[in-house]
Amino acid sequence: MLKRLRALASNVLKRLRALAGSSMLRYIVRRLLYMIPVALGISIIAFVTMYAAGNPISLIRAGKPNVDQNTLNALRAYYGLDKPIPIQYLSWLTNILQLNFGKSLYGGQPVNLIIGPKIWPTIELQVVSLLIAFAISIPIAVYSARKPYSKQDVTVTSFSLFGVSMPTFWFGLILIIVFSFTLGWLPSAGAQGAAGFVWWGNPVLDQIAHLILPVAVLVYVSLAQNIRLIRANMLEVLRSDYILAARASGISERKVVYGYALRNAITPALTFLGIALGGMIAGAPMTEYVFSWPGLGRQYVSSTLGLDFPTIMGITMIITVMTLIANLIMDILYVYIDPRVRIR
Amino acid sequence: MNQENNKSNAGRKRRSASQWAVAWRRFIRNKAGVVGLIIVLAVVFVGIFGDFLAPYPAFPDPKALTPFYNGEVRTPPNSKYLLGTDVLGTDVLSDILHGTKYALYVGVVVTAITMAIAIVVGAVAGYFGSWIDNVLMRITEVFLVFPSLLFILIFVRVFTLGAGVGTSFNFLGISIPIGLTIVILVLAVFNWPGDARMVRGEFLRVRELEFVEAEKALGASNKRIIFRHILPNILSSIIVVASLTIAYAILLEAGVSFLGFGDVNTMTWGQILENNFSDMRIVWWAELYPGIAILITVFGFNLLGDGLSDALNPRLKD
Repeated sequence: MLKRLRALASNVLKRLRALAGSSMLRYIVRRLLYMIPVALGISIIAFVTMYAAGNPISLIRAGKPNVDQNTLNALRAYYGLDKPIPIQYLSWLTNILQLNFGKSLYGGQPVNLIIGPKIWPTIELQVVSLLIAFAISIPIAVYSARKPYSKQDVTVTSFSLFGVSMPTFWFGLILIIVFSFTLGWLPSAGAQGAAGFVWWGNPVLDQIAHLILPVAVLVYVSLAQNIRLIRANMLEVLRSDYILAARASGISERKVVYGYALRNAITPALTFLGIALGGMIAGAPMTEYVFSWPGLGRQYVSSTLGLDFPTIMGITMIITVMTLIANLIMDILYVYIDPRVRIR
Repeated sequence: MNQENNKSNAGRKRRSASQWAVAWRRFIRNKAGVVGLIIVLAVVFVGIFGDFLAPYPAFPDPKALTPFYNGEVRTPPNSKYLLGTDVLGTDVLSDILHGTKYALYVGVVVTAITMAIAIVVGAVAGYFGSWIDNVLMRITEVFLVFPSLLFILIFVRVFTLGAGVGTSFNFLGISIPIGLTIVILVLAVFNWPGDARMVRGEFLRVRELEFVEAEKALGASNKRIIFRHILPNILSSIIVVASLTIAYAILLEAGVSFLGFGDVNTMTWGQILENNFSDMRIVWWAELYPGIAILITVFGFNLLGDGLSDALNPRLKD
C-alpha cells in the first residue's frame, strides 16, 4: 500500500516537473493572457448596455414619490454617475483591478460586502454537483453505449431526453413539493438551518440536508447532457478498427472499454462539457432562486430586477472569470487525456 | 432559355421529392420521432384553437378572473376547475391553454431569427473562408464562453424598461405582446453563435464536393452557388437544428419569465409558475401543471428533432 502510494507520488512529481519544463506552462500562461481581452470585452458590453439605458438613479426612482432635484444630483455625484460613460467605465475598471467593486445603489453599501459571502455557496453547490454528475454519467453512458438499442439503453436515452426537456427550475419545484412539503424529509430553502432549527441535529448534516435537493437538480440536468454526449461518442469509438484489434488480441473487455475506448470517447466530449460547465455556472440563477440559495445567482436576480448596476457588474465579472477558468481547466484536461493534441 | 429553366426546375423538383419521400419513409419507421411529431401537432392545434377550447378568456380580460369574483381563489383541482385556480384567481387550465400560443410564438420566432443569422454568418464564413471566417469564428467563440443567461437577464430588464410592457401591437390582425417580443429578440441575439458554427461546418463540407466545383467551372455566381446549390444540400441539418432550437427557446423563455423578468400581463407558462411560486406550498397544482405543459411541448420538439436527425442524416445514424 505504502509502496504504491510512494510510486503514485513520484509519478505525479515527475509529471509536474515535466509540466513546468514543457510547453504546457507556456500554454497556460498564454491562455490566461487570452482571457484578458475576452473579460474586458464582456465587461464593456455589460457596462454599456446598462448605463446606456439611462441614469440608474432616475430609473430606480421612476414611478416612486418625487425627491427634489438637488438630492438626486447629490446622489448622482456620490455614485460618480454624473460623469460621461467612458470615464465612468475607466474608473470602474481601475477600481475593479484593485478588487474594489464599487458601491451598491441601494444604501451605498460596498458591493464587495454584498458579493463576498455569496461566492463560496455558489462554488460549493456547483463543484459538488459537477463531481457527482461526472462520477455517475460516465459509467451510465458507457453501459448504455455497450448495448445500443437494448432495453436498458432505451431507458437511459429516454431518461436523458426527458432531462434535457425539463425546465431546471421546475424540477426543483417538484422536488420541493414532494420532499419538503409533502414528506417533510428535507429543507426547502437556504444553505443552512436557522438558529435553533438544525436539520438532522448536527451542523454538518444540516449542511448536507440543505445541499441534497439543489444538487439533485443540477446533477440530473447535467447528467442528461453528459450522457447524451458521451454515449454518442462512445458508440462511434466502439465501432472503430482499433477496438476490434484490441478485442482480437484478447485484452479483457473491461480494459478495452475503460482503457482504450473511454479515453477517446471522452476527449471530444470535454470541449462541450467545458461549455456546458460554463452554462451551469451561468445558469446558477435558476437553481439558486428556486431553493433560495444564498449564492451569486440569486443575488444576481434580485440586483438585476432592482437595477443595482454596480452589483450586477460585479457578479457578471466574477461569473465570467469563473467560466473562463472552468474552460481553461477543461482544455488542460483535454491536452492531458489526449496525447495527440499538441500545444503550440 | 425559359424552357430550359423550367425543365431543370422540374427535374430538381422530382429528384428532391423522392429524396424527401425516402426521408419520410425512414422517419415514420422511427417510433420516437413519430411520437414527437404527434405531440408537436397536438401542441400546434392547442396553440391555434386554445382560445376557443379554454373555459375562460385570457388573463388581462376581467372575465378571466371569474373564479376570483366567485371567491374561489386557490381552489384545488375539482370538477368545475379541472386543474384548480391560482393565486390571482384565474383558471389554471385556461391559462395553460392560452399560454400554448405564446410558447409556440417564442419557439418559432426565436428559431426563425436565430437560423436566419446563423445561415448568413455560417455561409459567409464557411464558403469564403480566409479572414472573414477567422473573425466570425472568434466572435462565435467568445459568445460560447459568454455567461449568456446573465446577459439575457440584463438585456431583457433594460429593454423592457421604457417599451410599454403589458401593451401589444397589431400584426396581421393578431395582437402580439411587446414585452414578450423583446424577450424573444434578446433570446435570438444570444442564441445564434452555436447554430452559426454548425452551418459553417456544413458549408465547409459541401464546398469541397465536385458539384460545387462544376458550378464554378460553369461560371455561376457565388450567390447562386450558396443559395441554389449548397443551401438545399444542408437543409436537412438546418431542419434538425431548428427543431431542437425551438425546444431550447421555449425552455429559456420559461426560465426568464420564472425569474420575474417576463411580461406580467402576458400569461406565458413561465409567468404562471412565477406568479404562484411564493405560494406554492398551497397552490402546488398551479406549479405542477404548467410545468408539465412545458415538459410535454419541449419533449415533443426534442423527440421530433432526434427523429428528423435519424431520417435526414442517415450517415449520422448509430
